[in-house]
Amino acid sequence: MKPMIHVEGLQFRYGEGDFRLRVRRLDVERGVSVAFVGPSGSGKTTLLNLVAGIVPPIDGCVETDGVEVGRLAERERRRFRVTRIGLVFQEFELLEYLTVIDNILLPYRINPALRLNGDVRRRALELARGVGIADKLGRHPRNLSQGERQRVAVCRAVLPRPALLLADEPTGNLDPANKDKVLQILFDYVAETRSTMLAVTHDHDVLDRFDRVIDFKEFQEG
Amino acid sequence: MSRSRWVVSLVVSSWLLLGGCASPDDPERPGPGEGNDGLTVYAVNYPLAYFGERIGGDGVEVVLPVPAGEDPAFWSPAPEQVEAFQHADLIVLNGAGYAKWVERVTLPTSKLVDTTGGVRDRLIGIESTVTHTHGPEGDHSHGETAFTTWLDPTLAVDQAWSIAFELSTRWPASVEGWQERIAEIEQDLSVLDASLQQVFSERRDEPLLGSHPVYQYLARRYALNLESVHFEPHEFPDDAAWAELEASLARHPARWMLWEGEPMAETRTRLEELGVTSVVFDPCGNRPDEGDLLSVMQSNVENVRRAFGSN
Amino acid sequence: MIQAFYLGWRYLAFHRFKTAILVTSITLIVFLPVGLRVLVNQSSQQLTSRAEATPLVIGAKGSPLELVLNTLYFRSEVPEPLDFAEVTALEATGLARAIPLYVRFRSRGWSIVGTTLDYFEFRRLRVVSGRQMTMLGECVLGSRVADDLAVGPGDHVVSSPESVFDLAGVYPLKMRVAGVLAHSDTADDDAIFVDLKTSWVIQGLGHGHQDLTRPEASSGVLRRDDTNVTANASVVQYTEITEDNADSFHFHGGLSRFPVTAVVVVPPDQKSSTILQGRYETVESLTQIVRPVTVMDELLETILTVQSFVVAGAVIVGLATLASASLVFLLSLRLRRREIETLFKIGGSRAAVGTVMVFEVIVVLLTSVVLAGGLTLLTREFGSAAIRAFMRM
Repeated sequence: MKPMIHVEGLQFRYGEGDFRLRVRRLDVERGVSVAFVGPSGSGKTTLLNLVAGIVPPIDGCVETDGVEVGRLAERERRRFRVTRIGLVFQEFELLEYLTVIDNILLPYRINPALRLNGDVRRRALELARGVGIADKLGRHPRNLSQGERQRVAVCRAVLPRPALLLADEPTGNLDPANKDKVLQILFDYVAETRSTMLAVTHDHDVLDRFDRVIDFKEFQEG
Repeated sequence: MSRSRWVVSLVVSSWLLLGGCASPDDPERPGPGEGNDGLTVYAVNYPLAYFGERIGGDGVEVVLPVPAGEDPAFWSPAPEQVEAFQHADLIVLNGAGYAKWVERVTLPTSKLVDTTGGVRDRLIGIESTVTHTHGPEGDHSHGETAFTTWLDPTLAVDQAWSIAFELSTRWPASVEGWQERIAEIEQDLSVLDASLQQVFSERRDEPLLGSHPVYQYLARRYALNLESVHFEPHEFPDDAAWAELEASLARHPARWMLWEGEPMAETRTRLEELGVTSVVFDPCGNRPDEGDLLSVMQSNVENVRRAFGSN
Repeated sequence: MIQAFYLGWRYLAFHRFKTAILVTSITLIVFLPVGLRVLVNQSSQQLTSRAEATPLVIGAKGSPLELVLNTLYFRSEVPEPLDFAEVTALEATGLARAIPLYVRFRSRGWSIVGTTLDYFEFRRLRVVSGRQMTMLGECVLGSRVADDLAVGPGDHVVSSPESVFDLAGVYPLKMRVAGVLAHSDTADDDAIFVDLKTSWVIQGLGHGHQDLTRPEASSGVLRRDDTNVTANASVVQYTEITEDNADSFHFHGGLSRFPVTAVVVVPPDQKSSTILQGRYETVESLTQIVRPVTVMDELLETILTVQSFVVAGAVIVGLATLASASLVFLLSLRLRRREIETLFKIGGSRAAVGTVMVFEVIVVLLTSVVLAGGLTLLTREFGSAAIRAFMRM
């Protein structure tokens, strides 16, 4: 079976700036959890973006779940992303004007590739119950704690049952107690669904929970 | 009657009753003159009604709403009767202050005809009435005017012509033949005038009394030496009134007193004791029980002739 | 797409204050010129139709506009009066029907119009409740007056004194309501109609009191001689005309000198109208004859000129408001940049994200247009009533 992520000969830079990302080769098997560590500005988030198809590579191959996302048209990349990839951000990135339940259901409202129906709503409620926010479904994010917000964001990311979870500093803004809760939710999902998780993190306390830790320096070509 | 016939009768009569009744507020209910084929003319006294009937002929319905026995000069209509006046096609007024109620009600001015409006210079003011003012510099209230204008047949002709003019100008098609009819009235009044001239000329300068101040136009027309008192036909005068009469007789030794109606027997007897013969001269302000204006006037002439002849 | 509408709707609902301000501003700038146009058209129509229905008006020399507005709309400014003799003189010419009006007094803000029954026939007014007035001291109410004062046949209205400082002048007369007129959607709905003579009684030119020639009235007598009785100030004058005291009411002085504010002239044909106008325009008199249509046309020209300026101003303000609104939308989009990035990142389609972003603009604009349209319809429906209420002020 093909790896979940296969990167080879990747080259990327933003516009005319000095930043360069080069990855000679990277393979991530299915069903594993991988942590990216490394100094700030080393390109960890950029690599997540390339894997997710948020930006295309300048050169090289980026295959995600068997699809060379870099070569897809933008519309196809978004479609691919919303159906197969779940994203969790350090700043949660919830929509302030939507309630908790509406934030969770958000992917189903922004791309016709996902259809919102009763089954989806039921699963959303179960997820919310599972992470302990079922009593806050009608609230807006401004009325939630940091930990609760990230839990909402995780529910949003996993509701479409993505095969790949990309988490960029998922616990960066959380206190230790919430950090554990959120990580546990992510790992539980990965274990239940045998999906793959790539997480960027600066938190060395949590690294031993991952199957694999990649120091980003080794993927920088000299 | 069988039960079913009773029910049918009740239903039909109720239906007819309700159908015949219309609320006074029902705006669809036609007033007099509205919705009728002919014209409706309202008059304030009988002489004018008489002229209207003769001039208008079949095309005109003339209404004098004053009840029998009442003096139209002093009658006041109820609001419903004023409404009836308002709905008439033409309202014929006597003018000269006749029927004071006219000044206090609302009538459509475009329908009013003042039959003495064109002869104001020939109206007689009553000098003995007392006016009043408010404060030393205030305007006077109006003095009175004698209003039994038709007792002068020449004025009566003018009043009749006034009616004829309005009817013929406004509704010529409805009063065809009016010229002949007014000519006949003129002729009849001319004959009456001649009769009155003749009968009064016999006693032209002799003192006469009038039971009420209603004979001013008669007196002027026939140059009568007439003074008035205030005697009612159906009331026996009090002592003060008799005393006043006797004082008046001392200065104005009249042998005849003209009455609007038949006086009480006692009054007649007492007057005769004073040497005054009662003569009925009915101004005929209201519709007579029998006859018409001219026949009443003719009776008046005969009454005077008999009274003058017997004395 | 519906889901994207839902997201857009949630955004608007969350920012309801901002949305309300935007909707209100845009509604107003759309409605102002349109509504003004509707209002002006309606007022033009009203003024014109009322003026066209009134062939000629005679009044004392002065402002033709004041004369026409007082005669047609019973405005509070009272023109100089002219003598009732003018009415009889006009009737005597045979060239027109003369309908006198005396519009001077008021009762609780409503104009009292003294006139004759010919006025009702002329304006095709009919009594829908009660009956027409029959005697002095009675009145007939316009429909709006009856509604506002909550009075009907059998009730009473009282004329207002002209000045609390002039105790010897116009005093209140209690008038019995005989009837209420059908709604006519004209200024006649806003008037209390009385017989012309009743308005003279209100002025004090006519009154009722005890018979001063009788002995029992001696306390009210200042001086008495054979032909005249002079009353003193203690004579109590009746403040209501009833069936019992109606016979005592009388006028002092000649009716021909009594005042009217205008005479509505109804000639039977154009020839009579031309002759009449010629007579009044050539004679050196203290009266004027005006064609209400001409006066109203001049007024409307002025109104239209003012309207043009107002509309121009409204358009300029509107453009400025639209520019401001556009700025608000652009700033809003800028503030939502991060939201847009997130939506794209988690896989939002361009169409869906675009819909969410422009939904605010579309809904605000549509709502504003619909509200402006609704306001315009309301103006069309109730504008004429508002105009007449304004004219009453």
